[in-house]
Amino acid sequence: MPKDDHYVIIGNGPAGNCAADTLRKEDPEAKITIISDEKPLYYYKHRVPLYAMGGCEPDDLAIRPYRGYGEKQIRLRLGQRVEKVVPPEKLLYLKHMEKVHYTKLILAVGASARRLPNHAAFAEHLQCLAGFDDAKRVREKLLASSRIVILGGDLISMGFAREARKAGKEVVFILYSSLFWPVSLKEEIRQSVTKRLTSLGVEVVSDAEPVTDVQPAEGGYTVTLPDNSELSADLVFSFFGSVPNIRFLVGSGINTEKGVLVDDLMRTNHEDVYACGDCAQIYNPEFKDYWISVGWGNAEAQGEITAMNLLGREKVIDYQPKEIFEMDGVTIRTSWWKSFA
Amino acid sequence: MTSSVDIVIEICGSAGEGTISAGEVMTRFMSSRGFGIVSFDSFPSEIRGFGKCVAHFRVSSEKVLSPGKYTDVLIALNDAHAITQLSKLRKNGVLIYDSKPPVCHEEDMSIAGWAKPCMTAYGIPMLELANKAAGNAKGRNMVAIGAVAWLFGIDPEAMKAFIETRFKGKKQKIIESNISSFLLGYEWTKNNIPKEDPYTFEGAAPPIPEGEKIIMNGNEAVAMAAMDSGIRLYAGYPITPATKIMEILSKCLGESGGVMIQTEDEISAAGNVVGAGFSGKRAMTATSGPGFALMGEMINLAVMAEVPAVIVNSQRGGPSTGLPTKMEQSDLSAAVNGGTGDSPRVVFAPRDVTDCYKMTVLAFYVAEKYQTPVVILLDFYLSNSIRNIDKPVPPDEAMLSANVFPDDEELDDYQRFKITESGISPRTIPGMAYGMFVDTGLEHNTYGKPVYDGENHLAMTEKRYRKFHTMQAELPPTVETGTEGEVDIGIISWGSSSGAAEEAVRQAQEKGHRIASFHSSTIYPLPEEALKTFSKRCKTLVVAELNHTGQYANLIAPVINREVHRNTMITGLPMASEDILEYIGRFKF
Amino acid sequence: MRREIYRSQVGHDGTSGMLRIIKEIAFSEDPRDFGYMADNVPCQHACPAGTNIPGYIRCITQNRYGRSYELNRIYNILPATLGRICSRPCEAACRHGEDDLGESVNICQLKRAAADLKPAMHRIKEDLYAPSGKSVAVIGSGPAGIGAAHDLAVYGHNVTLYENMPEAGGMLRYGIPAFRLPRDVLDLEIGNVLRLGVTLETGVLVGHDILLKDLQNKYDAVITTVGCMEPNRLGVEGDELDGVISGLDYMVRTNLGQPVPTGKQVIVVGDGFTAMDCARTSLRLGAESVRINVRATEEYMPVDAHEVHEVKVEGARIYSLVTTHRIHGSNGKVEGIEFLRTRLEDTPDGNGRIAVPIENSAFIMEADTIISAIGQHPKMNLGQSLTMNGQRIGVRPGRFLTSEDRLYAAGDCVTGATNVISALAAGRNVAHEVDELFAGRRRKSLVVRFEPAEQTDREREYDFIKPVPMPTLPVEERFEQADNEVENGYSDAEAKKESLRCYLCSLKYEIDVSRCIYCSMCIDVAPRDCIKMISSVAERPDGSYGEYGETGKWNEVVAIAIDNKRCIRCGQCYDVCPMNCITITKTELVEVDREE
Repeated sequence: MPKDDHYVIIGNGPAGNCAADTLRKEDPEAKITIISDEKPLYYYKHRVPLYAMGGCEPDDLAIRPYRGYGEKQIRLRLGQRVEKVVPPEKLLYLKHMEKVHYTKLILAVGASARRLPNHAAFAEHLQCLAGFDDAKRVREKLLASSRIVILGGDLISMGFAREARKAGKEVVFILYSSLFWPVSLKEEIRQSVTKRLTSLGVEVVSDAEPVTDVQPAEGGYTVTLPDNSELSADLVFSFFGSVPNIRFLVGSGINTEKGVLVDDLMRTNHEDVYACGDCAQIYNPEFKDYWISVGWGNAEAQGEITAMNLLGREKVIDYQPKEIFEMDGVTIRTSWWKSFA
Repeated sequence: MTSSVDIVIEICGSAGEGTISAGEVMTRFMSSRGFGIVSFDSFPSEIRGFGKCVAHFRVSSEKVLSPGKYTDVLIALNDAHAITQLSKLRKNGVLIYDSKPPVCHEEDMSIAGWAKPCMTAYGIPMLELANKAAGNAKGRNMVAIGAVAWLFGIDPEAMKAFIETRFKGKKQKIIESNISSFLLGYEWTKNNIPKEDPYTFEGAAPPIPEGEKIIMNGNEAVAMAAMDSGIRLYAGYPITPATKIMEILSKCLGESGGVMIQTEDEISAAGNVVGAGFSGKRAMTATSGPGFALMGEMINLAVMAEVPAVIVNSQRGGPSTGLPTKMEQSDLSAAVNGGTGDSPRVVFAPRDVTDCYKMTVLAFYVAEKYQTPVVILLDFYLSNSIRNIDKPVPPDEAMLSANVFPDDEELDDYQRFKITESGISPRTIPGMAYGMFVDTGLEHNTYGKPVYDGENHLAMTEKRYRKFHTMQAELPPTVETGTEGEVDIGIISWGSSSGAAEEAVRQAQEKGHRIASFHSSTIYPLPEEALKTFSKRCKTLVVAELNHTGQYANLIAPVINREVHRNTMITGLPMASEDILEYIGRFKF
Repeated sequence: MRREIYRSQVGHDGTSGMLRIIKEIAFSEDPRDFGYMADNVPCQHACPAGTNIPGYIRCITQNRYGRSYELNRIYNILPATLGRICSRPCEAACRHGEDDLGESVNICQLKRAAADLKPAMHRIKEDLYAPSGKSVAVIGSGPAGIGAAHDLAVYGHNVTLYENMPEAGGMLRYGIPAFRLPRDVLDLEIGNVLRLGVTLETGVLVGHDILLKDLQNKYDAVITTVGCMEPNRLGVEGDELDGVISGLDYMVRTNLGQPVPTGKQVIVVGDGFTAMDCARTSLRLGAESVRINVRATEEYMPVDAHEVHEVKVEGARIYSLVTTHRIHGSNGKVEGIEFLRTRLEDTPDGNGRIAVPIENSAFIMEADTIISAIGQHPKMNLGQSLTMNGQRIGVRPGRFLTSEDRLYAAGDCVTGATNVISALAAGRNVAHEVDELFAGRRRKSLVVRFEPAEQTDREREYDFIKPVPMPTLPVEERFEQADNEVENGYSDAEAKKESLRCYLCSLKYEIDVSRCIYCSMCIDVAPRDCIKMISSVAERPDGSYGEYGETGKWNEVVAIAIDNKRCIRCGQCYDVCPMNCITITKTELVEVDREE
């Protein structure tokens, strides 16, 4: 590769980091930069609930130290947001008004909390925990709280409920079976999930979806259920999985639908632009639908595959599920997330 | 209960952006609130302004002695220049930058892009806010100050009032533009930026000091001391960094009926001073290295003719035109030994702004009493750096004549250059009745008549040198700090570098080391006894100064007669305690 | 070419001692000036009708709603109508919408505001030519027909409009729902055209009730503006089942007050305005679940984002990357639709996307109503054999004349389905061509008008005003009555505030190179890269100026120039110039009467 090749990766999560590691291993000379709008170093997303509950400090979330990047000569641009991508010019525009040129680009921007449209009227009163920034914002209040209501849920919500119970909080979980993420709960699994939550001491409320209102009241919030009964809470959380962070790509010419559309070699419709991880949307012929991956393991695998493809060593994505998800004692063999009907 | 604070702030911009003036607003305001300030600005060398300006200042609730090598807060008014200052920003430091420049930066030309993950980077749309506040871009620097005020807990109302008084006299439109930019910067930052760094001035204000505090730099102190000493004539040629002295005195002398002449060159300036001194009036000139070199022969004349003269040399990077806006201490040899012939002169090197005042007052006294030229060595940093100090009070006798006049008996058979035990001959001033004499640059006898025999030459030379011995009793004592008694490391320094040395000693002492510092504001005549005593108690001796060969080390070598380690630097920046600590780190102790 | 200088005297004479202001106003037909206008007033250039947008927005700031309405009408005849349903090509071109400057000015809403808020007694004035004795038939009273009828009537010709529907308006009345365009607004503005003496014959289908060749004999010229009133068919198995209807039919029948099949589970196929209108109408007619299925993605839907937002707010959902394969049903009634997944490929120019079906990807969605709004083409039953261009009427290159003598065609029937403003502009243009046939020359032409301005007319802080959102009815109220207009229009305060956002790009800022001292103070205060040190400027084939060649080296600089394409007319350079060598000139494209 020519010395002024610049591989740019947007996203500092498992997909981005595995891609960067693979690129550096296979190409010792090229310039590699990771850009992320989050400030913390590469961290374990599944430990975020623990951090939110005060069970660990920000430094405990980091997976590898900063100097590791210096040793590998990977430039880390953290706290810097990409506002626009212009593929015909191979330029990125950063929010603080700087242009960055790339020879090849990997979009590993991940996903952020999905919010339900019918919660839109009171969305500002619902907390999410999709990443470190969310947790940092809510941590102080969370530590001071005693009773929380969870609407949802998804994989993170299970871990969160457990941590909340461990910290002695009262937890009410309003289970949205039809909107559970990544897979809506069939009866058997729903019972399994309910049993697990109850065994943790969580009060599970079924058949109360969707909640009709959440309003501030007396330092906390009041949650109104469809039957007009009310619940009180210090904090109300919304866990409905995640949606890819692709809004910044509108108008760039890179095809997106729910995520970034890529083929089985992780290529977008633009030469030299790839996507992987929670933000990539791939057509799966077996299921006759577009898929977005979920989970750490998938993201790591996709990051590595993308890097190989970028370097010209074609490696086709594997359609078989990489993960069996264990949701806190409940085993679910899921593969990838089906787009919602 | 107030907490202690020590924050180093740098504002970096392009010439013409109000970088220095923003720094001045901050330092003078914080000084008025009782904080200790040390500041040091850098300007571009060229007159036409495209170069880099840095306003660097340290604000502390305790007394601080050096400007600080590393910065805690960097405010970037111009990204391209400020990027070069980023290496000085501490690991967890704060960067404030313009988040909405008019044009997108090219790759790697944005300072925000270089911020390390551990730094806190705040983006303020300075240009946009300045436009909104005042309709033009001029207020960017004040927007940045507004942001700083909110971020670091400075009372905006007090600062607003301060800005109003500071800009009083300028056009109303300018005052309003500055204030509205400041307030908008404050409000916007308050509403849009969550604070994520630990730095704050809130709750750290020292008690408002008793006695009047005044904020000034070395040049201003010298000028003030000259006026307080009854200066009647200033002659000079403008040269960085001494020009300000001339500017101030031209106003003051004008008001008090004295004389200020801007001469055609430094030779003439020195000539004017010697002439005025001969006529009995206190006179002074101020210059820098290149000008001082030109004054050489006039100084020799004053030595031989025993005429009082005060010459200020504010040292800068040399030799020749050198580095006009950079700090250096490399004229010591020239000041002490630069005369041709056996040409001794008093050389003072004040250590800080207060000392500049004291030593200048003393210089006029010594020059007049001992009938000799006195060279006061300042430097670029000392001339320009601002400190807040107790307002200097002139000693009662500052304005009084220090002349040694002849008594009636001596007037009878008046010998202007009478050989005395002290070396000081009685002196008449032209215009006085009786006491006529001849004064000349030729070697002369006691009557002033030119005489060339060897015996006379020896007697006269010895007399002239004897004066230096006599004056020791009236010179200020040397200053030692740190551990008493035996120490592992002794640090000798001079001029403004002594501040850094003392800070380094203090920091090392806190870690439990046995370490001491030595400073003398008088370079010549050498304080030989004090040097010898100090040297004896130090296991290792370091001389720290800002020139390449170690000029002071060379000067004191025959006195202390031992090996010294030379901590020399010529980076163009003032010495920092970190530099000294790093140097002595090599000695295991 | 020619420059004419008129001295116009403004001010009082003598007695009160006030100053007389004499301005030099210049008119130009120089192609360089037209080239300048195209680059520098992007909104006017993007508008098919060439509406003087900065002009009418400035009138709103000055509280001259009536004049603003008149200015609009000069160019686009139906301001209150277009102010509600125009597809706004101007807003996409608006300089305020450039990346670093924020969002476009809400130009269309301001047009509506002028119409809504003008004083009740405001009256339009028309300059009419005396009767010419010529007569013209116009077939089709949609926007193209109305535009043509208006201009022909102004020129003094006798116009008869033939319309086969019960009322005039075409797609305006029958394609667009009343909740987007109230009928009384439409009636009023069509009325303003008809009162010029245009005869309207409704319920007449040319080619059936009357023959085209009879019209050709009776009239001195015939213009056909029949639009695209034939819906494209899905053409798949099952598309004749009960419950399957085309989008156009759905809207026409609804607007005629006739019942339309609307079940509970509605699927709409298509991604244009008609599809959106159908979806929203079906919700008002009782549908519980409305899904809009598009072949590409939301990003490539030809409707603007604001329209998509309203559709979603009202409860419809959009599914992308699917194409219709087959329609299922039993007993003659539709039960579901089989889709294939698609993937996107670039169009040859790279700017658009083609949705290509993926093999073996079929799946079924249940539905009891299927509305297919997949485009329209002209209904050609005029009974004449005209040269066709595919399904559209062929015209001679660069003109509106068909293969038949004195028979013209304009609007969607020539171009394919476009939008209202394009059709209206086409209608006006064909009228000018017909008039030229009669008069032997063009009687009006466009010129560039230059008027010196003394001030910037704006404050810098206006540039930071956020766009004023259009107030809309809450969703429940929209469904109370299907005809309730969804958008409420700006209030006076809202309109004034939004109008301040316009940069007034019709103001040209220019540095007089002979007086400039290169102090570059203007560059220092420039908010973006709008003032440049240049070494050269490219010249285009038509003589107009192209790109500036910038340089950073002072010894190469030939001038400091304001790049009016980047200029946001903030006025800071003008304020700061120590030589006062920056002039401001108001530049406008105006239509003037031509002499022989």
